[in-house]
Amino acid sequence: MQADRSLDVNLTRALEESKRLADQVKPGADRWDVIVVGTGAAGGMATYQLAMAGVKVLVLEAGRMIDVKTEYRTMEWPYASMRRQRLPPGERPIAIAEYNFLDRPYGGNTAYRQSSKVYSYAANSFTRNWVVDEREHPTTGTPYAWVRARVLGGKTNFWGRGALRYGPLQFNAASRDGFDVDWPISYDDVKPYYDKVDMLLGCSGTKEGLEQVPDGVFQRPYKLNCVEVAFKRAIARMGRHYIPGRAGVTTDGVLNKYRAKCAGRGRCGRGCDIGAAFHSPTALIYPARDTGRVTIRPYSIVSEVLVDQGGSRATGVRVIDANTREVMDFTARAVVLGAGTLDTARILLNSRSPRHPDGAGNSSGLLGCYLSEHIMGIRGSGYMPVRIGTESTLDDGRPVAPYIPRFRNITDRHPDFIRGYHFQGGGGCGEFPSMAHEIPGYGKAFKSNVRKYYPAIISFGGFGEVLPRKENRVLLDPDVKDAWGIPVLRFDYRFRDNELKMARDMADSIEEMLHVAGAEDIKIEREPLPPGWSIHEIGAARMGSDPKSSVTDPFCRLHDVKNVYLADASPFVCGGTQNTTWSILAMSWRTMDGLLEQMRTGSL
Amino acid sequence: MEQLADPHSGLVTRRTALKTFGTGLGTAALLPWLSDQGLAAFAGIQAANAVPNPKVLAPSQFATLETLVEAIIPADERSPGARAARVADYIDLLLSELERERVLEWFGGLAALDAAAAARFKSNFAALNAEQLDAILADISRNERAPQSPLELFFAVAKQATIQGYYTSEIGIQQELRYKGNKFLRDFVGCETEDGKDCPHCGQKHSGQ
Repeated sequence: MQADRSLDVNLTRALEESKRLADQVKPGADRWDVIVVGTGAAGGMATYQLAMAGVKVLVLEAGRMIDVKTEYRTMEWPYASMRRQRLPPGERPIAIAEYNFLDRPYGGNTAYRQSSKVYSYAANSFTRNWVVDEREHPTTGTPYAWVRARVLGGKTNFWGRGALRYGPLQFNAASRDGFDVDWPISYDDVKPYYDKVDMLLGCSGTKEGLEQVPDGVFQRPYKLNCVEVAFKRAIARMGRHYIPGRAGVTTDGVLNKYRAKCAGRGRCGRGCDIGAAFHSPTALIYPARDTGRVTIRPYSIVSEVLVDQGGSRATGVRVIDANTREVMDFTARAVVLGAGTLDTARILLNSRSPRHPDGAGNSSGLLGCYLSEHIMGIRGSGYMPVRIGTESTLDDGRPVAPYIPRFRNITDRHPDFIRGYHFQGGGGCGEFPSMAHEIPGYGKAFKSNVRKYYPAIISFGGFGEVLPRKENRVLLDPDVKDAWGIPVLRFDYRFRDNELKMARDMADSIEEMLHVAGAEDIKIEREPLPPGWSIHEIGAARMGSDPKSSVTDPFCRLHDVKNVYLADASPFVCGGTQNTTWSILAMSWRTMDGLLEQMRTGSL
Repeated sequence: MEQLADPHSGLVTRRTALKTFGTGLGTAALLPWLSDQGLAAFAGIQAANAVPNPKVLAPSQFATLETLVEAIIPADERSPGARAARVADYIDLLLSELERERVLEWFGGLAALDAAAAARFKSNFAALNAEQLDAILADISRNERAPQSPLELFFAVAKQATIQGYYTSEIGIQQELRYKGNKFLRDFVGCETEDGKDCPHCGQKHSGQ
């Protein structure tokens, strides 16, 4: 295999720091009040809140430390790499299981459809050192594209920046359409935390007054470009909104020495090397560590929560060192799980003891059930006449595309499905003209047609709510184990009738909007991507007031083991159409307030 | 990229990389953000402009491929074409990593092009004049959306690879598309109607609805 120097990032500093910390931090090395598992949005916010409140925290990260200055290669051009930033075969870390990331020239050609699968934005030369290798981390059961990152900051190092709130339509969804149950908490309970997250981390957006996606405390918004203004004006006549994307990026600055404000370079998905985009290390972990109350132990794979003889209290967690495979038990007064929805569920399912034979927190039998995310893959594109044949402009110097908020089942009732979907998308000149693949012909005519239509492209992708259903679930596989001997997850998860009808309507509605906007050469993709593709997984340890029908209480604390708190999206009841990260941050903050209150009142 | 390690080419230092780089682009803001490795890789590609060093393709196959990619995206008054953008080197690299049956399809496609050229014009594909090239390309691109014959299928695949290689090259991005992004801005520019003005780029009026 040919060497490609752009793949060879110098990780020496991060690896040395990781080894030093892993060697130093052993059971008994110190006394910690709380153990936090995971360093992404959930674990990062939990660590930050606890450290700022004066609590001593042990943070366990399954992967290594990160060297953000070296690893965030924000402005690297494609031609800095002989492979143009694609990964060589065998180097695609999440290609091994069900998904064969056959890229163009084969991936886009109908003749190779049978061998072509999908090319994930999450597997590229920028993320290859962060995303897990499925040969070490297999899954079984139904296909599920489970994207995991084992490195400080987790998936927040390359997340999509969409910073949307849940609103009353999510918290009270069941009251509106009779399906399933409401959350045990309301938007009013979480709104103050969303506001505080906006102020702490910076959120760019515009006040719109829309019930389906409540406004926040916004910093300077990003503008629409020319094709987007034309599209917005057209669909306004249908009563539809098309608004600037809401981004978890600071445009006016925040009080954090690791972060500068956005400079409009538009390469955030590789990690923002000036820290304008929210990434957990720069935004939360480093400031928390500066308090002196945070100990980070990398290479720490948590296999289970340890529960005392009585079964109602956790004593700590069991850690397998990723390198040495040494098994260590760390103890603390409380345990916060922020390993990500699915890994948190897996840790709990694997925490089996005489009192909890089916896993800690599973007396309801519902641990692993009600897994949900978003159905996506439905796309539409076309050329907006206002920019056909015009010269290039700077159209992509921003972290997110604009956004068509949900418009179904808000005031009306769709005959075919409940809940709804939204579209994210925009257009204009991007770095790579993917529309060129659709321009016929060759030679000078082809080349000038690419140039002619390049500024005019507009395209959208839909995100639809997958209904939370008991039968969409994960279990521990009885036979298959990961590279460290921990049982892997077996998925039993499918899109069902409501999702598939919704997907049909998504395709029809984006086609209609593109027609109304006068777009030329409209193309519609009607096939959903495989389950898991949204990377918006929620549920699997849902919250509720009744221990018989839920896993955690309304403060995301296990009903059964009162000093274990879930900081990620695993307790979420339903997820609307919104990207999940901002809700994880708000809920993690709220959950830590609950934990701190218990510490103050002495019950911990 | 192996030439980087070749003692005869000399070790590519940051200084030499910068020197190569500086002649191509006036983007001083970019430099601090490129890693040493990125600069070295980039310098290597620039250096490769001297002599192609194919890994998989024989010289005659490489010549056929270069002729094909240049016919798909030729030089014109605005910018150089796929040959100057080293698209054939890029495809050769991809072929070096593809499974064998795919590589054999490319070999077959290139041989079929030469066979077509010989049958119609008694010449190698690489030696055809512009008119002859156009005659063959018109033929094999006819069913691009639903390719039937092996040559039609090969054209569709080769075109996709050419697009991928050309528009990710420095020539494709900077000279042909005149892409304006990936730089430090105080504010995202956007449509000027968003600032309450009439927009010179799209002709939309700020008052328009």
